[in-house]
Amino acid sequence: MSDSTIDPAKAAAALETLRRADAAGPRAEVVGLTQMEGGWSRHTYAIDVDDPDHEGLSRYIGRVRPEDSVLDTDLGQEFEIYKVLEGEPVPAPRVHGYEPSADTPFGGPYFLMERVAGEGLNVWRRPDRELLEADWAGGRGIAEDFVDGMAAIHAVDSTKLEGVVVARDFRATVARWRDIYEDIRLVPDPVVEEAYAWLLDNEPEPVAPRLVHGDYRIGNCLVDGGRLTAVLDWELASIGDPRFDLGYMALRYSGGRFISGGSELTGAVAERDWLERRYAAATGETPDRAVVDLYAALGALMLFSIMGTGLALYDAGKSTDIRAAWSRFVFPGLRADLAELMGW
Amino acid sequence: MFNSLRTDQLIAGIGATARTAAGATGAPDDYARGQLLSAYSVSRLLAAEVSGEAALLAWLRSELLDVLDGKPAAMKIEAAQDGIKVGGILVDLLAELRQSGEDPELRTRIHAILREMAGRELAALAARPEGSSRR
Repeated sequence: MSDSTIDPAKAAAALETLRRADAAGPRAEVVGLTQMEGGWSRHTYAIDVDDPDHEGLSRYIGRVRPEDSVLDTDLGQEFEIYKVLEGEPVPAPRVHGYEPSADTPFGGPYFLMERVAGEGLNVWRRPDRELLEADWAGGRGIAEDFVDGMAAIHAVDSTKLEGVVVARDFRATVARWRDIYEDIRLVPDPVVEEAYAWLLDNEPEPVAPRLVHGDYRIGNCLVDGGRLTAVLDWELASIGDPRFDLGYMALRYSGGRFISGGSELTGAVAERDWLERRYAAATGETPDRAVVDLYAALGALMLFSIMGTGLALYDAGKSTDIRAAWSRFVFPGLRADLAELMGW
Repeated sequence: MFNSLRTDQLIAGIGATARTAAGATGAPDDYARGQLLSAYSVSRLLAAEVSGEAALLAWLRSELLDVLDGKPAAMKIEAAQDGIKVGGILVDLLAELRQSGEDPELRTRIHAILREMAGRELAALAARPEGSSRR
């Protein structure tokens, strides 16, 4: 029985994509289709399919790149990364069909992937931070999986990703975010501009390039029964310096600080010393904290550019997503992070 | 202090979100609920920002005038009408100091002011505006 609130055009498009990927039969029917809260640069849909040729309800997630995306990132690249990860010990959902056309009922290109059991945690909400603090105080299943997941990402053979994922060294990564900042530059920001200069004055010695998630935080993972079940949101992935992921995770913002509060735990997940020791044990590489802090600053600058893009779209009337306007209030905390990291 | 989008744009955004919600049919999905909660959050933060911005700007101007002590940039800071203009002046001044290598102590002192400014701005945003209550 079809739900009358389901958009028939979206449902038909999703079914066609699934059938092309041999993931749905001719008698399959979409019985649920709702837009989920998450997704800044991607819109996310929960799609339930009842297929008499398959046992039980099949649950999917639709990832859509809207026209007014805050990031000019390639959805096709994200889809291909998920495909490569199917053969890797990185927990990630299987993907089922990519539609590259911009002219779709979802308002842009999209792909479908299985809906993995688990919840996304929001470290800016106290109950979710408390859940993570309880994990840290107790079994540490989430903390261990979180670090091991990052180590597994950094261990992926990067030759499998040649032609799939863009490679960027330190300077190219700095240039990428700085170019975006300068393109939009709604407001000249002395803290941001000094931070870019500081980064270039302190370029770290390179290490062997690896797969870098680029937005690795517990909020981009799914957690079920005290274990991590999936790592999501690969749109910022690159082949580069793995210490970026460690630095980004160490930002106080990543630990849930917005204008105040936040977790005492790094990434809201674990104490920093423990996290670094476990990562070193898994990878054989002890991260240099000074370099990690440098990448933390670069992570903060990345957030300035991403959120700044959302603000610019909102300012130009190309987006009505009020979260873009809200994100301006993230900047004071990021400035405080940057000032601290630079030793001001 | 150096934040884009003006107060009137934010107020209009809150209103537009409310109007969209009022015109929707059926139960709101997670996305629609998220929009309303974000609009609420913007309203609270904006109220706090408006309450604290005059005092923060006055403090920033005073600190900068103190360290600039008669330098040409001091007059520009004195004439700047808002935080965004102050930010632009500081961008130029810090770039000049960085490139010339002159007066590193002044650059350090400006850094310290900017660090304290960030802390003060966070404290102002975290303050609950008078007359508000959270339910």
